[in-house]
Amino acid sequence: MTEVLSGPETSSPFEGRLVRLRAREPEDEPLLHRWFNDPEVTEYLAIRYPLSHHGEREFIEKTSDVSYQTASFAIETLEGTMIGGCGLENASPENRRSTLGIAIGDKAHWDGGYGTDAMRVLCRVGFEMLNLHRIELEVYDGNERARHVYEKVGFRLEATRRQAVYKHGRYLDVHLMGLLEGELRLD
Amino acid sequence: MSRRTLEGDLVRLRAREESDLEFVYRWINDWETIKYLGQRYPRSRAFERQWLTSGDPAYGNAAFIAETLADARPIGWLGLHGATPENRCADLGIAIGEHDFLGGGYGTDAMRTICRFGFDMMNLNRIQLTVYDWNPRAIRCYEKVGFRHEGVIRDGIFKAGRWNNLVLMGLLRGELQ
Repeated sequence: MTEVLSGPETSSPFEGRLVRLRAREPEDEPLLHRWFNDPEVTEYLAIRYPLSHHGEREFIEKTSDVSYQTASFAIETLEGTMIGGCGLENASPENRRSTLGIAIGDKAHWDGGYGTDAMRVLCRVGFEMLNLHRIELEVYDGNERARHVYEKVGFRLEATRRQAVYKHGRYLDVHLMGLLEGELRLD
Repeated sequence: MSRRTLEGDLVRLRAREESDLEFVYRWINDWETIKYLGQRYPRSRAFERQWLTSGDPAYGNAAFIAETLADARPIGWLGLHGATPENRCADLGIAIGEHDFLGGGYGTDAMRTICRFGFDMMNLNRIQLTVYDWNPRAIRCYEKVGFRHEGVIRDGIFKAGRWNNLVLMGLLRGELQ
């Protein structure tokens, strides 16, 4: 009797209920340029200076080959509309630890569960495809909406760097959050 | 100015020299020293020579050798790294490589001296560091200098067969004791 071997019966690890992560493409440039020059989008991001089209093109070139070190993605709805970007950067293979960044640039898709879904997909990719042990991120004090999402998917507040960032004329505390293998909450 | 900015009561901080090679080569390959650090691989003389000659202390990478005031003996290395002018925040790293100078106040004096340098000469607003949660001697030293506990990074480093928690500590301008 021969047994037919088959792979896992799961759907794509890059797809959630609302969004899909895909590699970045040169065509993404105009939207990225618009979003990341929008002060409402960048208020709680590390972006400080205006970004040029040239700079965005370079960013896409540098990040469009997805790898362990640069697991960077465009976030699109299941219908195929790009709504933001996210990534796991600077993974350390010995420590199996990586830093997560995410932004929903399309304001029409704020508050609809898209960010939460993208977070879950990205963390699953980190644990199930990159074999990470720990995912961490930083969130600026005052960014309550983001912090709520991170807590919902299982991130724990671990530390607060007092006055670690200066933006908008004042020093801001920066919260460090961490998620270990087995702590991701999918519902 | 009342005192030399790079001198404490027991130690002086100075730029790295190629002539420090045998000291730093021994320290960075000594498990008793590097078990407290993130360092994990053996290092060659060529690597260390390159590091020693890679540039004098500057804003983004202010690295020093600590030597005794008494007889100019190198005892360890330390630095303020990654400072950005907008945030005025730097990461501090320190190690005393000469075991005879552990527990005698040299590390604490070197910490005070480099933090004073960071605030008074580099015009930093914040200095931060991480330390293994099982290293109470270092944590007590940092507390004494004024660093506050800001949290714990769970399983931040895997080394010597186990996951290690890291305590994050921070010192703001005006908090140095």
